[in-house]
This record gives sequence, structure tokens and C-alpha cells, in this order.
Amino acid sequence: MIMRSLLLLTTVLALTSQGALADERQAERQTALLASSCANCHGTDGRGTMTLAAIAGRPASILESQLLAFKHDESAGATVMDRIAQGYSDDELKALADYFANQPEL
Amino acid sequence: MTRSTTASLSASRRTLLKGLGAGALLPLIGCGPPGSGNDASGPRVVVVGGGFGGATAAKYLKRFWPNLQVTLIEPNKVFHTCPFSNLVLAGERRMESIAHSYDELKNHYGVQVIHARADDIDPDGHRVTLDNGDRLTYDRLVLSPGIDIRWDAIEGYDRAAAEHAPHAWMAGDQTQLLRRQLEGMPDDGVFILSAPADPFRCPPGPYERASLIAHYFTQHKPRAKVLILDAKDNFSKQGLFTSAWQELYGDRIEWVGLSGDGAVMRVDAERREVETEFGSIHKASVLNVVPPQKAGLIADRAGVTDASGWVPVNPNTFESTQVKDIYVVGDATVAAPMPKSGFVANTQAKVAAAAIVSSLEGTPLLEARWANTCYSLINPEYGISVAHVYNVQNDQISIASGGLSPGQAPGTTRRLEAEYAYSWYNAIAQDTWGS
Ligand SMILES: Cc1cc2nc3c(=O)[nH]c(=O)nc-3n(C[C@H](O)[C@H](O)[C@H](O)COP(=O)(O)OP(=O)(O)OC[C@H]3O[C@@H](n4cnc5c(N)ncnc54)[C@H](O)[C@@H]3O)c2cc1C
Repeated sequence: MIMRSLLLLTTVLALTSQGALADERQAERQTALLASSCANCHGTDGRGTMTLAAIAGRPASILESQLLAFKHDESAGATVMDRIAQGYSDDELKALADYFANQPEL
Repeated sequence: MTRSTTASLSASRRTLLKGLGAGALLPLIGCGPPGSGNDASGPRVVVVGGGFGGATAAKYLKRFWPNLQVTLIEPNKVFHTCPFSNLVLAGERRMESIAHSYDELKNHYGVQVIHARADDIDPDGHRVTLDNGDRLTYDRLVLSPGIDIRWDAIEGYDRAAAEHAPHAWMAGDQTQLLRRQLEGMPDDGVFILSAPADPFRCPPGPYERASLIAHYFTQHKPRAKVLILDAKDNFSKQGLFTSAWQELYGDRIEWVGLSGDGAVMRVDAERREVETEFGSIHKASVLNVVPPQKAGLIADRAGVTDASGWVPVNPNTFESTQVKDIYVVGDATVAAPMPKSGFVANTQAKVAAAAIVSSLEGTPLLEARWANTCYSLINPEYGISVAHVYNVQNDQISIASGGLSPGQAPGTTRRLEAEYAYSWYNAIAQDTWGS
């Protein structure tokens, strides 16, 4: 009896953690897909080109506060990023900031 | 496993099923360089067209799932971008600077690149026939063939006419022909550009071209004029263009819209003459006809186009609504309100690549989101832009945010946007072709 419930418990635990793992992977992929649009001006994985500062490997907190400032029209120097940042939720902007902070610099 | 150009459908299906059954599919979305994929043994995806949409699709399929077998079919060894071809026309850039190769896709991402043309597609047999006679099977097919010209749309404007009055709407020889004609133009000549009705490739493209050619005239043909004959009454970024023209070029550029009798109905290319809807005849020194367009021919062969000549797609995946397992991206698609731009083709390809991976694995579809920024240069130091983010709402592609550059802005803003345009070009070329 004890054995049976233990077995059941482990199975349930294993299934939940598999489910959580799958959810986490799904969330990571969602962020990677969102982030892929940024490459068109910032280079693949945000590794930068010419005039535009590279965003790969910059601290997440700085990237996030810049993105939020763009979104809320609080960034004086903005040209297009204000128009673009408004297309994402605050949570998405945070996920994008974390994504690029975790990319290796060129 | 080595890849041959012809694998039987059942074999590739077996590989797919085996992979799924073994639970061995762990696509590494967003992970680092996959290295050579020559030992890839996953499902097979064939991509037709190595332009903005196709090259991006091939690269991101491999990034999302390194074990996929990805084959890219593109006749040209070197791709010339339409973006910045207007700078070539103005003498500000050379052809080499808009040329890109497939080396990164081959050497870094392990994409098999075949330089041939796809002639036919058999959707039931999941087969592509190439012009060299080879046949390839696919589990999923991506088409990004760009545009073809509607040669029957304007009387007198056929392939032979384009040798006298270039369209230069696919970059390459046509770009160089138009450049030579502009260089050889008399000092007080008239450049006429005939612009088509919507939808067409690159909505602001004709007006950027007129601007940069006017810039060239200010430097080299001081008395020359630009006349735009337009088959519509409104065009992209119209307010920004017209006020910049006023500011920089005075009356050098004249625009005649549809209701002013701007629609060109007949072309006499050898005489460089056009006739408009109500019978006005205009004579040009250099005549550039941007003709009506449709999806690249291979889309017809695949049975994915509708009566409009373009390809309807499921907005969440960019899979054809007419034929299963064929995904279409780029200019060939009906994706309004997204414009037919290279930027959009690139982001559509990423959404399609992710949807293909989800469908092959049987995992839930990711939420689609696209971005676009179209920069236009009025002169090499004066840039304007339109930028949007798109999502899907009620099964329709919708605008999530965006807009135009401000109508009133200091010169420093215009200069900054020009700099960002150059930077954008380098970034998107790097993201698409690797250089
Ligand atoms: C003057 C001009 C300026 C532009 N400026 C900009 C700009 O500043 N920004 C921007 O974002 N966009 C710009 N564009 C638009 C941009 O060029 C297109 O939107 C973009 O090229 C679309 O990508 P695509 O993949 O659909 O087609 P393409 O890039 O044209 O690629 C199609 C490819 O498919 C290949 N192909 C076709 N048929 C077959 C077949 N049967 N078999 C194998 N291969 C095939 C072709 O050889 C070609 O290489 C401009 C366009 C023009 C004309």
C-alpha cells in the first residue's frame, strides 16, 4: 500500500515536473521568437552593427528600463523604438531584456 | 546520414516518425551556432527562393532545430538586394555593396544550397522538380519566390520593352541598365517613373527612388527633372515625402496622381513615350516603368495563389490556406496591413520557421508577432521611416503599435534616421545572409 502510493506520488511528481519543463521550454521559445524580430536592426541575437549599440550582453535591468522608457515615451532620443516598444507588454519587454542580457557579446 | 537530392517520401516520413517516437527531438530554439548540420537526420524542409524570406527561413529553421534537413533552392549564386539599389542608381553605392552570398548558410548552419530553379511542385506527392531534372521530397515546403511582373498589364510593356525602359524592381542587371541610362542622360533631361496601384513590392520604393535620383541630378544634371506618373491617389509616407521634396528639391520633382491623369496605360519603350488613361502623351529621356506585379510563378505551379495572383495564408503560421504543408512568406503573400518589404519577409520567415517546427514536433503553436521598419532616404543624409508591430487578432493580422516619423522634426532627427537606415541594412543583411 505504502509502496503503491509512493509510486503514484513519484509518477505524479515526475509528470508535473515534465509538464513544468515543457512549459518553461515553450516560454523560452516564445521569447526567442519575439526576440528574432529585433535582429533586423540589432543583428542576430542582438550582436550589433555599426551605429546601433550592441544589445547582447548588456545588463538586463538597463535594457528593461530603456525599453520601458521607449514604450512610455520617456526617452528623449527615440526615433523608432518608441513606436515599436508599444507593441509589447511590460512582461514581454522584461523577457526580451533578459534574453539579450544572456546572449554572448560579439 | 548523407543527404541526396532525391529521397523517397516514405524514407523521409520514416525518419520523421522514428524521431518523434524516440522522443529524440529537442529543438534548440534560440541557442548558439549549431555548427555543421551535414549529419542532420530529422525531417526534411525544402525552401524555394534565397531572398529575404527564403534565406531567413533556412537559417532560422536550423537555429530552431539543428537536426532538420534544410535544403535551399536558389538559381543565383549571388543575391542583389532591392534595398539600397536606389543608392546604386544615384551613384552613391556600388553593386558589390548590395551583393550577398550563401556561404554562412552552407558553412555555418549546414543548409544544403542547390543553385537551380524550382520548375514544378507536386503537393500530393510532396515533391519539387528542379530545372536540372532533379526531384526533391519534403515534409514541409517553404516558398519565398518574391514577385513576378505582370507583363500583360500595360500595353507595350513586355520583356523586350524592359531592355529599353527598365523596371529595376528586381535588383541586378536591370539596376545597372537604369544606372547607365541615368548617367548618359542629357543635362536638361526628364526622368519619368511610372508607379503602379497597390499592392506592390515596397510601397515607399518608387518615391525613395525619385528622391535619390533627384539628389543625383542636383549634383550631376542640374537642369534635369523627375516626373512621377502614378496609378493611385495616395502613397506611403506621402506627407513626409512631399514636404521633404519641397524642402530639398523645390519643383524638380513633380508627382501626378490617378485623378490628375497619372495612370500609364500604354508604353512605347523604344521612343520612351507613355500614354496615360485620358490620352496624354509624355516623353522621357529615361523611362522607368514599375509595373503591376503578382506572386512569383512557382506559387502558381504549387496551386497556392488565388484569383488576385497573390497567396492567401493562415496568419498564425503562414501556411497556405489552399495547400497543406506549404508555407509561403514574403512579397508573394496576402498579408495586409503588413507591407511587401524585406523586413517583413524576414520576420514572416521566422514565424513560419517556428510554426513548422511546432507542427513537426506536435508542440503547441507559438504566438505570432511581426515587426517592420521601412526607412526611406530622401538624400543620403535625410531619412524617414514607417514602423509597426503586428499581431493576430480575431484571425486577422492587426497593427499592435507603430506609425510614421514625426511630420515636423529637426534636421538632426532626419540625419539620425538616415544613419539608422544604413545600420538597419547591415543588420538585416547579416541576419539574413550572414554578411
Ligand atoms: C527599389 C526597392 C527598394 C526597396 N527597399 C526596401 C527597404 O528599404 N526595406 C525593405 O524592407 N524592403 C525594401 N524593398 C522590398 C524588398 O526588396 C522585398 O520586399 C523583398 O525582397 C521580399 O523578399 P522575398 O523573399 O519575398 O523576395 P526576394 O527577396 O525577391 O527573393 C525571392 C528569391 O526567390 C528566387 N526565386 C524565384 N522563383 C524561384 C524558383 N522558381 N526557384 C528557385 N528560386 C526562385 C529569386 O531568384 C529570388 O532570389 C525594396 C524593393 C525595391 C524594389
